[in-house]
Amino acid sequence: MPNMQPYQNPTYFLILGVALLPIIIGMMFGKKLHWYQTLISFAFLLLTFGGPKWEQGLALIGYIIFEVILIGCYYFYRQKKNATWIFYLAVFLAIIPLIIVKVTPALEGGQLSIIGFLGISYLTFKVVQMIMEIRDGIIKEFKPWLVLQFLLFFPTISSGPIDRYRRFIKDYKTPMARDKYLDLLDKGVWYIFLGFLYKFILAYFFGSRLQPVVMQLAISHGGMSWWVVAFTYVYSMHLFFDFAGYSLFAVGISYIMGIETPMNFNRPFKAHNIKDFWNRWHMTLSFWFRDYIYMRLVFFIMKNKLIKSRITIANLGYLTLFLIMGFWHGLTWYYIVYGLFHACAIILCDAWLRFKKKHQAHIPSNKFTEWFAIFITFNTVCFSFLIFSGFLNVLFFHGTLN
Amino acid sequence: MSVFKKLFQIFGPIVLAALVLFVFLISPFGVKRISQTTIEKAALSQSPNIFKGSAVKKAALSQNYVPFFGSSELSRMDALHPSVLAQKYQRSYRPFLLGSPGTQSLTHYWGMQGISQQLKNKKAVFIVSPQWFVKKGIDPNAFSFYYSNLETVEWLRHAKNTRMDRYAAMRLLNMPSARSSETIERCILRIAAGQKLTSTERTYLNLRYNILQHEDQMFSMLTLKDRRSLIEKGEKQLPDAYSTAGLNQVAEKLGKENTTNNRFNVDNNFWNKRLKNNYQKLRNEQSNFSYVQSVEYSDFELVLNEFAKQHTDVLFIIPPINQKWADYTGLSMDMIHHFNRKIKYQLNSQGFSNIVDLSDDGASPYFMQDTIHLGWKGWLRVDQHVDPFLNKKQGKTAYKINNYFYTKNWQQKTNVTSD
Repeated sequence: MPNMQPYQNPTYFLILGVALLPIIIGMMFGKKLHWYQTLISFAFLLLTFGGPKWEQGLALIGYIIFEVILIGCYYFYRQKKNATWIFYLAVFLAIIPLIIVKVTPALEGGQLSIIGFLGISYLTFKVVQMIMEIRDGIIKEFKPWLVLQFLLFFPTISSGPIDRYRRFIKDYKTPMARDKYLDLLDKGVWYIFLGFLYKFILAYFFGSRLQPVVMQLAISHGGMSWWVVAFTYVYSMHLFFDFAGYSLFAVGISYIMGIETPMNFNRPFKAHNIKDFWNRWHMTLSFWFRDYIYMRLVFFIMKNKLIKSRITIANLGYLTLFLIMGFWHGLTWYYIVYGLFHACAIILCDAWLRFKKKHQAHIPSNKFTEWFAIFITFNTVCFSFLIFSGFLNVLFFHGTLN
Repeated sequence: MSVFKKLFQIFGPIVLAALVLFVFLISPFGVKRISQTTIEKAALSQSPNIFKGSAVKKAALSQNYVPFFGSSELSRMDALHPSVLAQKYQRSYRPFLLGSPGTQSLTHYWGMQGISQQLKNKKAVFIVSPQWFVKKGIDPNAFSFYYSNLETVEWLRHAKNTRMDRYAAMRLLNMPSARSSETIERCILRIAAGQKLTSTERTYLNLRYNILQHEDQMFSMLTLKDRRSLIEKGEKQLPDAYSTAGLNQVAEKLGKENTTNNRFNVDNNFWNKRLKNNYQKLRNEQSNFSYVQSVEYSDFELVLNEFAKQHTDVLFIIPPINQKWADYTGLSMDMIHHFNRKIKYQLNSQGFSNIVDLSDDGASPYFMQDTIHLGWKGWLRVDQHVDPFLNKKQGKTAYKINNYFYTKNWQQKTNVTSD
């Protein structure tokens, strides 16, 4: 059986284009062909997780059954009671598969866990979000079929963007006027082609052409050299165009299917400070961390009056958020340092913003300071990506690059 | 706005793009003429795109260009370089340089696929570097760098159930490049197993061939390095009339001038850039190097087999190693002699008898430009063999390919007695 990874090559897009045609025609006549959408979702999941990847396919099925039952159980429990420890238990159970998958390579010398599959992180984000919103009482229904549609929506399954259940279901159910759909279709097609530029031209150029060359030069030079600086920028460009290109595909395909999956990137390198950067970079992930970790932790601390100083609370929140994000990327020193680095950067950024507010009269603000801010932010971010890349691990500790 | 207008706005450009793509890539029409300037530049450029493609090579070799297969030594373009001499003394031939650092037998074998018609009953020069013959042969990364889908597809379309094609397929499967496309990998697997390709696979390959060929015709000559000024600079240093004594003087003079900052007779620039800071670490570093047991011998057999198939008349050149450098790094001359016996046995026993063995000239000053690359006097000596070889009438070749050279047994053999 053939196997294809999402958005891997032109053939995938060709098949996708043909498969989407009935959906487009249906949408033009104001009809959502739910049964057909389910059919092609299944077909594309089979294409990604079938054939030589069948083990991942089984892992996905097992995972989905487990998580849907968990959501269901917690939903029915929550209709009657609301004990905090049960809520914690449910969240813990929801993330246990992800924890196992992330910890296994660190313990087993790089070996991947058998329960892992492409996109497990993103599914876990969606599940945890549902459990939290069930607890808040905002999700007022449990329809296994809709939960499946939400979790297994194939354009975003492998790497997001991370949608929200209520938003997704609203789009899924509500019929759409032709004019509105045409606009969406227009944008969708445009995003996909912009994605081609990003992923197959720019990311290819930076990642497959430049990166191996500068990497080789940096390694043969050894230690710190200008080539490491070159690598930093080349890698940053590669990372951005690869991921942003991928996200554009996912969003574009969603639009064509009549689902307004949220955008993941908004010109991140134009950010004026680190805080601004995280509102523009991998947005659905940072908003997820903001809403379900940072805010909840801050509320928890304030409610229980554990710490008085608001600044300390915020800083603690950042530290927790970015540490978890680091651990989520994987159990290596460089991912964790990457998390800590961003936590420190954002704490410093906050301090600076407070200072600036207090001394507004004496700090100039003009075109030059604006560009200066962008310049500093850009370089700080690129440096953090150098840490993230694991290349320092190769340079200093003779690790291998994955 | 009407629905159709809007739909046209959305999909019109895509349809147009698809059409343009079809016309330029998939359709068998639309061959671009290759200008003389492009050919002149390409012959000197050693650019990977030219090496991996076939359009420019074909165009050039159909004229008076002769392929000079080799590796890094080809880029030592001093005044005595074959390309300079051929132009200065208006020889009947011009070298087309095929190879750059990292190209070895295996890359050359695939590089020859697109030009088989141009090699047929023609002449070629082939410089065999002893340094290729390390235990595992070509570095997979270097192979990937020179790997060409076009050449692979071209090869697959003509591959048969012969020892040569099965061995080539097996070697290719050992390289990461073979996995660049699933269908191609499956085809290679079939050839390795001695099976026939299915008709679907053939159709796929033909279609793919059209696309890759058009890509090659359109893009391989973009960003072509122009080294013609280097050649012109070399020409100016040469006497107007060809004389062995006169050229020898020039070679001696240039060699002396350019090797003043070290005791190894290594070119000053090379010394400054590559050795000055770390040469002390290299003392005796090569004492256990061996070029005697290597998979490269069988890879080299592929090249010989292809030459035999096309009845190409080939002049083989075995360059020496800078003696002073070899002494310093502890490279064993015994081993080098061993290598020479083995490679010459492989050549002679199969009827490849045009061999220029320069391995005893490593001690002669200014013969080498640096550690292992021919230079001034070395190039001049090469010319003294190349010029008569290319000027004599095309001889009838009588090659007898022996499949024994594809075996592990031969790769590992150490006790080869002299021919």
